[in-house]
Amino acid sequence: MTDVKSDKSNKSASGWSRRDVLKASSVGAVGAATPMFFTKNAWADGHDAIGNYPVKGSEVVFGFNVPQTGAYADEGADELRAYKLAVKHLNNGGGMLETLKPSKLTGNGVLGKKVTYVTGDTQTNADASRTSARRMIERDKVIMVTGGSSSGIAIAQQYLCHELGIIFMCGLTHSNDTTGKDKRRYGFRHFFNAHMTGKALAPVLSSEYGKDRRAFHLTADYSWGHTQQESMQQFTEAEGWATEGNIMTPLKTTDFSQYLAQVLNSDADVLVLNHYGANMVNSLTNAVNFGMRDMQKNGKNLEIVVPLYSRLMAKGAGSTNIDGVLGTSGWNWALQDEGSKVFVKAFTDEYGFPPSQAAHTCYVQTLLYANACEMAGTFYPPAVIKALEDFEFDGAGNGSTLYRGVDHQCIKSMLVMKGKSPSARTSDFDYLEVLQEVDRATADYDPSIFPGELGPYKPA
Amino acid sequence: MFDLSINAFFMQLLTGLQMGSIYVLIALGLTLIFGTLGVVNFAHGALYLVAIYLAVSINDAMGFGMALVLVPTILFILGLAMERGLIQFFYNRPHTDQILVTFGLAIVIQELLKWVFGANNIPFAIPSWGNGIILMHEWFPFLEGFVVYPKWRMILVVVSIVTVSAVFALLHWTTFGLVIRAGMRDSEMLQFLGVNINRRFMIVFGLGSLIAGIAGVFGGPVTQVSPEVGMHLLVPSFLVVVIGGMGSLSGAVLAGILIGMAQSFTAYDINLSTIIIYLITVIVLLVRPRGLLGAKGVFE
Repeated sequence: MTDVKSDKSNKSASGWSRRDVLKASSVGAVGAATPMFFTKNAWADGHDAIGNYPVKGSEVVFGFNVPQTGAYADEGADELRAYKLAVKHLNNGGGMLETLKPSKLTGNGVLGKKVTYVTGDTQTNADASRTSARRMIERDKVIMVTGGSSSGIAIAQQYLCHELGIIFMCGLTHSNDTTGKDKRRYGFRHFFNAHMTGKALAPVLSSEYGKDRRAFHLTADYSWGHTQQESMQQFTEAEGWATEGNIMTPLKTTDFSQYLAQVLNSDADVLVLNHYGANMVNSLTNAVNFGMRDMQKNGKNLEIVVPLYSRLMAKGAGSTNIDGVLGTSGWNWALQDEGSKVFVKAFTDEYGFPPSQAAHTCYVQTLLYANACEMAGTFYPPAVIKALEDFEFDGAGNGSTLYRGVDHQCIKSMLVMKGKSPSARTSDFDYLEVLQEVDRATADYDPSIFPGELGPYKPA
Repeated sequence: MFDLSINAFFMQLLTGLQMGSIYVLIALGLTLIFGTLGVVNFAHGALYLVAIYLAVSINDAMGFGMALVLVPTILFILGLAMERGLIQFFYNRPHTDQILVTFGLAIVIQELLKWVFGANNIPFAIPSWGNGIILMHEWFPFLEGFVVYPKWRMILVVVSIVTVSAVFALLHWTTFGLVIRAGMRDSEMLQFLGVNINRRFMIVFGLGSLIAGIAGVFGGPVTQVSPEVGMHLLVPSFLVVVIGGMGSLSGAVLAGILIGMAQSFTAYDINLSTIIIYLITVIVLLVRPRGLLGAKGVFE
């Protein structure tokens, strides 16, 4: 006896056995899939799938990752306002869409898709910012991430986005490292940097306070603080100043008295506060309490310098404390160029008060990304990157600007600011006056002074 | 670099003293509450936070005098409400439960204040009589040349000394203090004797909050007014309590000054300055587990 049935017994009347049907189906399925199989990740416009490209559906999602809690929450809130306004203008027209040149933005979304957004909270913490950005990329399928109010956080997100093939448009980050040793092909910075601050501010300091000066630095102990201190020391020494000392201060310091006592014990007649946000507010207030603004050293008035200024910081410190103190800003709402005027008007109409420099840079970054997509005719990241690289534009609030291709740093004009006295203020937003507008040529520098590589257009 | 000149030494000494004064004022409330109620109150930093926000608001609206009167009073009432509404239910629970609930409460308070006042610093103007500097070289002839120190910070040191003295006097020279100290030893026995110790403990909690209120009024212009301040001060203040000995008032004073001095004299080096308080804590706990002046058997 045998259990084996004859072939013939399994065949149907048509001559096809069940096995024949299965074999034929398998071969048919493999055959049908062959073009896709051999051209893995290829899409209709001939580009590979990178990050969240291709964008499916009628909407494209941007990710706004800003500090909604933590020390920079107020700046984050202003950034978020600017991002929402940018989305509104991208979808409906208005604002800088009328002044940005050249521009392919139409006010009908980007590449025919309506712009939507998701938001995340960086908590002013690198780990939290990475987690939030990754969630946006993997869950919400954002095509671009932007935000950050601190260099450490911007750099952390920039590395992550580069790995995942998502373009990161930096928000407020001023460290040389962002477009220096930590530059990435997928990261772009519109904001100026510490080197540009030193270059622009040192000659003004020399002219205001003289060449025979001794500076003592108090420096926030992280990426931005370190590069800011190095740049200020480099450029002030080039002006003939001596550097008496530098103390790194922990980021969470609220009482700076132990450091200020060291400054008082030195021969320094200028105190440089390489601090930002709450740090600067506290160190400046403490210095004023120590009588440093009314003190003389080496026969000269002891001066305080705050290299990086913002309106929110100035407000936090109070106008009595910042009266006459010099620093730099990327932009100010009082500027009278067309781009600044339309942006300030749109922002003020929407929210009832003028935007901060953080809001300005975030708004412009969103528009520049959208415009680059339109210019490239695709959301494909390498093509968008190429559209942004060496892009020359105007009408965004800083005059003629170059998005330099070799390091992704915007080269543009910037401002030397001076704190206003309480009597000179005209509103609750009027704390700083523009002392000097530093032109693009002066702010420009050789990118090869910083190490680092951008990396490939296609992430590994 | 460490400067050994007499002027530098004097300046760092004063700085250490004023930094220690804030730690002492905050740690005093913490250790008082722990010593009497046995509660590890991680919300104490948040009470300080409430105090500085109240102080800056009242100071701006009604002047410093009103802030000085109202803030400690409000904090005292807030302390009573906190004790009745939350803390009393955790008297007999493990310290881990107390830490978790008070830490959670601290975060809630911090976020609420951030929601109301924003995350940015609010400038706290020093009253005109406290503004300016003291010419130290006129008072201390051994100083060379021109040495100054902010008047407000010296006022803070004096306030700290007065507050500590008042608490010591209250606990050692009044009937209320006698009952509290007896309650710290054996609260059960006191209840057998017909003393309503719970009510007195409630007042002690209010007193701890009141001290946080005083610290807020005078410390606000120094530590500044922003939502993170409470948490920043909580850790060193808690370490002050641990180093001084849990529940020991004199220990808190000694440890507060010690920590302030250590931070001041290591300011020139960020690495040393950051680890110094933890280094001291480890050494003290290894050599003397109950803290410098802690009672035998308490957290040993």
